[in-house]
Order: sequence, then structure tokens, then C-alpha cells
Amino acid sequence: MNGAVETVGRDLGRILEALGGLLLVSLVVPVIWGEYFALPALLVSALVPLGLGRLLYRRFQDAEAPGRFHGMIVAASGWFSVGIFGSLPFLLIAWSVQVGVPGFSTPAQTATLAAFTEPLNAIFESMSGFTGTGLTMTDNEEVLPRTLQWWRTFSEWVGGVGVIVLTTAILSRPGSGSLTLYESEARSKKIHPSIVSTVRTIWWIFILFTFISILALWLAGMPIWGAINHGMTGLATGGFSITDNSIATYDSVAIDFVLIPIMLLGSIAFPVHYLILQGDLRNFYSDLQTRWVFGYMGVGSALLWAFLYFAGPYETPFAALRYGLFQFVSAATCTGFQTAVDATNVALGRWPSYAQLTVTFGMFVGGAAGSTAGGIKLIRGLTLAKGIRHQIADVFYPESAVRRLEINGRRLNEEEASREFMEAAIIVVLWITFLVVGTFVLLLTLPSGEYSLANVVFEVASAQGNVGLSSGITGPESLPTVGKIAFLFHMWIGRLEIIPVLVMLRTIFKRGGLYQ
Amino acid sequence: MKLRNVPVVSYVVEAGADDRVFDSLLLIGPLIIGLVIVLDRSLVTESLAAAYIAAFVLYTLYRAVRE
Repeated sequence: MNGAVETVGRDLGRILEALGGLLLVSLVVPVIWGEYFALPALLVSALVPLGLGRLLYRRFQDAEAPGRFHGMIVAASGWFSVGIFGSLPFLLIAWSVQVGVPGFSTPAQTATLAAFTEPLNAIFESMSGFTGTGLTMTDNEEVLPRTLQWWRTFSEWVGGVGVIVLTTAILSRPGSGSLTLYESEARSKKIHPSIVSTVRTIWWIFILFTFISILALWLAGMPIWGAINHGMTGLATGGFSITDNSIATYDSVAIDFVLIPIMLLGSIAFPVHYLILQGDLRNFYSDLQTRWVFGYMGVGSALLWAFLYFAGPYETPFAALRYGLFQFVSAATCTGFQTAVDATNVALGRWPSYAQLTVTFGMFVGGAAGSTAGGIKLIRGLTLAKGIRHQIADVFYPESAVRRLEINGRRLNEEEASREFMEAAIIVVLWITFLVVGTFVLLLTLPSGEYSLANVVFEVASAQGNVGLSSGITGPESLPTVGKIAFLFHMWIGRLEIIPVLVMLRTIFKRGGLYQ
Repeated sequence: MKLRNVPVVSYVVEAGADDRVFDSLLLIGPLIIGLVIVLDRSLVTESLAAAYIAAFVLYTLYRAVRE
């Protein structure tokens, strides 16, 4: 095993310690809101990962420095562990209210909170949060204790910054494949030379954008508690809401249109944000991914608008624009905020199939690599498209011709082009394979005739793309246990871009260790 | 005692943006949100929030022009 378990154990320990720290910081929320009954549950939820993490770290603190395989396994096992231990607040607070806490007065139990007395529902909610998905096991988020509303938001926010760090700093090592993405995003210049300063830079940009998002939403008319939560989950492209009908609850044109740039901010690569904040505004159009963020979201929204206005459920061009634009951006940035619900207009699940599939395509492609968005990522889609064109054009050139593939200003030779094309193709094929498998699983387990194929594909793509939009399938009662477990897997692989999870599973099941 | 020696300020200056304006926005942001929570919606809080966003946008544009 050559010390691999020690290295992974040490780093996993640090991640669990960090989770414990986040939970300890969150103790402020029940104190501020007077939800004292949540304090013991939150404290225990913090101490368990903190203690376990400390134990792992102390046991393996002299382990060797991690290599790229360790990085993948730490990322995969870390996200999984955080999803599991992050479920403790849901589980313990729900049980605190269910059975009461001696010495504390507890509110009346609600059906929404009672759902979290089931461990699987609690783990689902936690995994959905930390993967930035936003699919939920709650029926009505409004009745949740403020402490849990905050924990859902905080988990998405931390998960969002975590995935940026993962793709731009940790997995972007030579030979990992992610480096090529990273280079294409940041003009072959790293944000800063070291991982630590890269992570610091990502943090300050993310925090600054969070403050701006919160204040912009508040100025648009959202109450401050809603602005804090939706600003954080919007920027993290997570999509958890504190209201029953997501953003539709506010039914405000101003809030809808303020959220669009916030979601777009989250879906642009953070290395590009850094360059823009340095004054290099040319990156808005000179960076391939950023250009396409605006380009394909513009085209997708226009298409959806046309479907919804000319052949769909909306009678005025503005209503079709308002809901079409918001829902396409929400899907393609992988946020998952919903304005199209039954309570205020026509729910997404009842849109025409072609409109639903347009939204599904947005979820499949996703935003830029190096952002908080999910999906296959724009750079992979573009690499694949350019690579296919390059291969087909090859037929028309003599064998002796030296041709280069140009992606985002970089001219790749045959070997480089082949490597990048292969990586993009592998991810896309795996993504589609798991989407199809998940669709079969859901079709087999859902009551027959209740949901259309478009509904099912939509829901699986939403889970795997870490989006969170729902056609109505996900819920504590409506989604069968097998479906919940399958969705946990989809959310996990979607967040980590599949490969690290497969590397970890192969290590566990096939080899029983690293580097045998 | 200099302002940059205050614990939170020194941390932001050290780990932040290496830019006075962005560092200031990082420090002022939570204060404005705190004021909004305490004072609720008023002309003062709305002006402060609008000024904060305007400062960010205008400074980014200024840096672009200066480049």
C-alpha cells in the first residue's frame, strides 16, 4: 500500500476537522434566532466529525505528501464523508424536536422536519447540499428551523468553493488532465504559484461576490434572511431555498433579474474572475468558456422563450421571456432555482416535453470548468466539438500535413490534441452512460404511468448535473428508497466529474489498496 | 496601534486581495449586512448597500481603464 492509507487518512482527518469547525461556527445561528433546542444536536454534530478527524490526523500525521491519485481518492472519500457526517444536524435536530430535549422548549413537529428522522433523507439533504445540487427531501422549507435553513445554505456555499479549489488547485496537477482545463481557463498562468495562495485568492473572490450578491438581492426587495441564504446558494449555484416555492415565492421580476447575473457569476471560471478583477475585462470575450457561457445561455434562453411563447403555456412574450430566461440560466448554471411552479404559473414538470428537454440540455452541458457549476462543463463540450471537426477535416489533408488543433488560443500538437479529446470524450461517455443507467433505475422503481420519460430524464440529469430543478419526482414520499440511493450516487459522481469516484471505487473493490 | 494590526483587519490584509479597495470591501461588507439586519430597510441602509455595489463595479472598471 506504500503508505497510501496513511496519506488519505491524514487528509480525510483534516477534512472532517474542517467540517466540525463549520458546525461549531454555525452554533451562532440557533443562539441568534433563539432556537436553543438545536444547540445540543448541533454541538454533537460538530464534535463527532471533529473527534474522528482529530483521531485520523493524529494517527497519520507523519504520512507522506499526497500525489495525484491520493488527491482523487481524498476528494472522492472526503466529499462522501462530508455528505454522511453533514447529515447529523438534520437527523439530530429532527429527533430533538420529535422526542424533546430536557431543559429546552421545542417547537411542534412538522411533517417537513419529521422527514429527517429517516437517516436516508438526512443524508440525501446533506449530500445534495455539499454537492451543490439542491434537490431536497423537504416539502416546505419555510417551516424548517432557521438553524437547518442556514446549514443547508452553508453546506452549498462551502461545497461550491470546495469544487473550485478541487478543479483549479488540487486536481490540476501535471498529467491529471485537469491541468489542461486549468491552463485553458487562465491563459496558462496560474492564479498564483502555490496551492495555498490559489485557495486564498479563490476564497476572497468568492466572499466578495457573496457580499455583493446578498446586498443586490436585498436591494431588489428580498428580506435580508432570504437575501443571505439565496445570495450564498445562488453564487454557489446550489439552489437550496428557504421558501416553499423557491424563488417563485417572491413573484418579483426584479428579484428574478438580479439572480440571473449572480448565477452567471458562479458559472464563470474563477481564474477568469481573478483576471477580470485585475482589470483585464477582455476575458469576458477572449476566454473561450466565458464567451460561450454568454453565447450558449443566450441561444438556449431564446430557444426556450420561443417554445414557451409560440407553442407553450405563456400568453405574453414577457412572461415567456421571464420564465424561459430564468429557468434556462438556472439550469445551465446548474443552480436549480425555480420560478416556474404550479402556485404562480405553469410548473416545469408540466411544460411541453421539448421545452423540458431544452432545459435538460442546459443541465447536461453546465457552466465553465473551474466554476461552481456542474454538468460536463463547457470546455469539454467545446473540445469534443472542435476535436470531431478536426478529425473529419483530417480526411481532406495529405498524410504528411502537420495540423494543430486550436482551443482557446492554444495550438495543440497531435499528441496533446489526442489526449485532451480523449479526456473530454471519456467524461462525456461516462456522463451519458450513468444518465441512461439512472433513468432505467428510476423507470423501474417509480409507479408506472405516473411520470413521463422526459420527467425521468430531466430528474436524473438534474441530480447528476448538480442542478436541483425537479419535475416533481424528488421528495421524501415520492422518490422510492432505491431512487434516493441512486441519486446520492449521481450527485456524488456529478460533483467530482466521475473519474475520482471511479478511481476510489476501483481502489477499494479491485485492488484493495494503492500501488500494489 | 495601526488599523492593519487589528486581528481581523491584519488577516484580511495578509490573506486578501493585495489591493486596498478590494480588502476594504471585504472588511466593510459584513458591517453593512450587519447594519441592514439591525436597522432594517431605510434610506441609509439602502444607500450604503447601493454605494457598496457601485464601489465594486466602478473600481473594477477603473482598473480596466488603467490597464
